[in-house]
Amino acid sequence: MKAIFITLLLALSLPLALVAAEDLHSAAQVAHGEAVAHADAPAEQNKLTMITEKFGVELPTLFAQMINFCLVAFVLYKFAVKPIAETLDDRQQKIADGLQYAEEMKIQLAAAERERAEKVKEATIEAQRILTESREQSKQMIEQKTQEAAAQAEAIIRKASEATELERQKMLSDVRQEVARLVVLTSSKVLSRDLSDSEKQTFSDSAAKELAQAV
Amino acid sequence: MKRDKKITKLAKKLVELSLDNGVVTEAKVAEVLSGLKQVQHRQHLTVLKTYLAYLRREIALQTAVVSTPSSLSDATLKEIEANFTKIYGRTISAVTQQDTSLIAGVRVRVGDDVYDASVAGRLQRLAENVH
Repeated sequence: MKAIFITLLLALSLPLALVAAEDLHSAAQVAHGEAVAHADAPAEQNKLTMITEKFGVELPTLFAQMINFCLVAFVLYKFAVKPIAETLDDRQQKIADGLQYAEEMKIQLAAAERERAEKVKEATIEAQRILTESREQSKQMIEQKTQEAAAQAEAIIRKASEATELERQKMLSDVRQEVARLVVLTSSKVLSRDLSDSEKQTFSDSAAKELAQAV
Repeated sequence: MKRDKKITKLAKKLVELSLDNGVVTEAKVAEVLSGLKQVQHRQHLTVLKTYLAYLRREIALQTAVVSTPSSLSDATLKEIEANFTKIYGRTISAVTQQDTSLIAGVRVRVGDDVYDASVAGRLQRLAENVH
């Protein structure tokens, strides 16, 4: 910024320097002519006056030029250099902010990328774990169902066998009962028909004595 | 029908009064009935029915019903009475009953106890054992 300001001052002071150089050249010519004409002038003339006259420097003009220069410099600084400098500072600040923001974004992007990679890795591990658990569970379930089915089949077979055995036992019992009933019925009829009264009486007396003596 | 406890107790007491040396006798029963007639219990009919039920049970316990398809001699009956009196520890009187379904032999019932020495009973037990 200062460089720009110095450049502007130099640019503005260049025409003034050219004007001053032109004035100095004309004054030198005048002084040379006067020096030739008055070669014999007295030496006691003031040296400073000689220098100023020799170089054509006039104090009012010098002061006016200095004041003009300060005014121009102030106006330029106030209305041109300062707004431009502020604008440039703003832009520089914006650029710096943008760069910082871009850097932060880059960092955040990298962090997000890392996080995403970690999430993907975790998700992959979790998916693998779930898949493994699912396989184990399905395997256990299949084994359990197989065992249950086998147990049920065995129970059904056992119940069927028991039912068959019970049915067979009941059938045998029924047959025995029926046979015994028929045998008893037939025997009763046969004995009733074939036993004589005397035999019945003898048997009855014997049975009565048996009951009479049983203690 | 649920019997009143007091009536049941009274009927049992009347049955005890009807015993003469542990045997239900007609005379004792007549005395008890005449006494009941004089007392005129408020639930007279119920008392009589209960007394009759317990009296029948007592008579059944003192009676040996001898079932046989043919007749038995008195001596045999006396032996049976003596034997069952000895078994039960009370006086048992035998009553004959003809039952041709027994084919041959004897069956004696004292209360709820049955002593079967008949052909039909033996065949029945044989059939039951076959099961």
